Amino acid sequence: MGTRLEDRVAIVTGAGRGIGRGEALLLASEGAKVVVNDLGGAQTGEGGGSSAPADQVVNEIKAAGGVAIANYDSVAESDGANRLIQSALDAFGRLDILVNNAGIIRDRMVYNIPEEEWDRVHRVHLKGHFNCIRAAAPILRAQRSGRIVNTSSEAGLGSMGQASYGSAKEGIVGLTRTVAKDLGRYGVTCNAIRPRASTRMTENPELKEATTRMGELRKRPGQFAVPEQEDFLIVGGGPDPQIHRPENVAPIVVWLCTDKAAKINGHTFLAGGYAIGLYEEPRIEAEMICRDGWSVDAIDAALPTTFLARDMNPQLFDE
Amino acid sequence: MSSRLQGRVALVTGAGGGIGRAEAMALAAEGAKVIVNDIGASVTGVEGQTSRTPAEQVVAEIEQAGGEAVPNFDSVADHKAAEHMIQAALDAFGRLDILVNNAGVLQEQMVWKVSDEQWEREHGVHLKGAFNTIKFASQIFRQQQSGRIVNTASPAGLGAMGHASYASAKEGVVGLTRTVAKDLGRYGVTCNAIRPAARTRMTVNPDLEANLERMREIRTRPGQFADPMLEEIVLAGEGLKAEIFHPGNVASFVVWLCTDAARRINGRTFFVGGDRVGIYSEPTAKSVLCNDGPWTLEVLDGLFDLSFLSDDMNPNAPE
Repeated sequence: MGTRLEDRVAIVTGAGRGIGRGEALLLASEGAKVVVNDLGGAQTGEGGGSSAPADQVVNEIKAAGGVAIANYDSVAESDGANRLIQSALDAFGRLDILVNNAGIIRDRMVYNIPEEEWDRVHRVHLKGHFNCIRAAAPILRAQRSGRIVNTSSEAGLGSMGQASYGSAKEGIVGLTRTVAKDLGRYGVTCNAIRPRASTRMTENPELKEATTRMGELRKRPGQFAVPEQEDFLIVGGGPDPQIHRPENVAPIVVWLCTDKAAKINGHTFLAGGYAIGLYEEPRIEAEMICRDGWSVDAIDAALPTTFLARDMNPQLFDE
Repeated sequence: MSSRLQGRVALVTGAGGGIGRAEAMALAAEGAKVIVNDIGASVTGVEGQTSRTPAEQVVAEIEQAGGEAVPNFDSVADHKAAEHMIQAALDAFGRLDILVNNAGVLQEQMVWKVSDEQWEREHGVHLKGAFNTIKFASQIFRQQQSGRIVNTASPAGLGAMGHASYASAKEGVVGLTRTVAKDLGRYGVTCNAIRPAARTRMTVNPDLEANLERMREIRTRPGQFADPMLEEIVLAGEGLKAEIFHPGNVASFVVWLCTDAARRINGRTFFVGGDRVGIYSEPTAKSVLCNDGPWTLEVLDGLFDLSFLSDDMNPNAPE
């Protein structure tokens, strides 16, 4: 047991399994009192809730000498998120750390996504992150301290068949950067991770099939714009269950919640296996100036021969 | 009149004013037949009022210049209405080649004050609105093995105080763009995004004047703006009021992305505004550290010593 988070109170959403469970266990082992939130649904967001996953993690924390309570509210509902934040105050009298991890996944090409599926994915990931942050922010702001860690994904960098998931996850990056500016001056930090782990979300047959399909597609040149993602999904044959244990995401997340990380705010980290990485923020890597403003003719003359390379299509088509 | 887009049909959402109007007119000037979509709402969309006048006026302007256009008054935020909008293009002109997602609403608010209604209104128009039109347009594009999609993100997605809802929706649009590029690229369709800067009713109005004043004051805090381009535009010079920031300068580049010359540009994000066109880098994990086993907090405590992290990574640190 460490003591870096002694007397702190943490909430982890979707903590009944996978990455969230690992985060809750490590936070508790550093002395934090933890609210283990999980509504116990399926990874697709379907099916009735079960209290078992959250209860089990609470028992694990207690068995290791830690302090935790379970919460079964849905972060997708404002009221649920408000109750979740309140449960930390009721049980432990304060709130210091919010780890937004709850998520579901539905893979489908963009032209086939039913409206309900888009709505469900966005409600849990993006609105769910916002709901919890909005409810926690007044508390963190008033006490002039706090830590928020959000869960984005490499899918936000472009991932075939993941338009709803990928857009929600990149929305979380935009939310993270903005919340960092809204709350930074109050001693609160807000960062995000793009994790890699072998969980029930990645181990399901649907995704295994997608990985195989991506392996096939890889034979086309220029398929992947993101080398890390390529390494992860293809070269490694998918996440290695031994190295990419969900528990291995937790250390950087918990470290971001310690005092040492006070100066890290608004950033995005790669976390998984034995690797951690710091993402560069998008920046204008090349620009052209036309003093009188641009016309289509001017662009036509200047751009293709200058800063635009020939190969900027991640999904080349047969011409 | 030029002829780069002769025989093509384009749909521009939110085309009744500002950037969308300029895009519709520039597309028409290249020979495209244009569906000018606009519900005629206010900048915030709060009042809920609508008007047919803005779309009809732009249609009249296009016709007066010798182009072809029809107005459309469907809301992109409504899944069924978006389907109807795409059908309207087929009904009027028999095909669809170009989709420019531009419709948007904006209200500033610190994250703890954003209401469910505001979040849903902004995310409904920006993010779900982009999905709604892309879903139905892509069914046509995929069949005809060609198409152009240009989405409208924002520099705010890189972090902008008081824009949690707007910025997260806009960065979600970037994630959507990258993923749609992969979903549709092999069918000869490209999907790109712009982060524009232009003088419109959304950016230059009495509210913004007050905000500029506030931002000038806040700017005295070190490291307030992470995006030098944004800072430069908003603060350093005469702001967006300058003549060079007229929306036409955004439109030229958007039109160019819709031409055949741009067929190899897919899934990328561009800065467009004033006399500049720039291409954004994609986020990459530039510095990656690998441990020989799972990371521990003891090792992570030394991250600053490894120069992996620096002391000035908080864009709004407490004073």
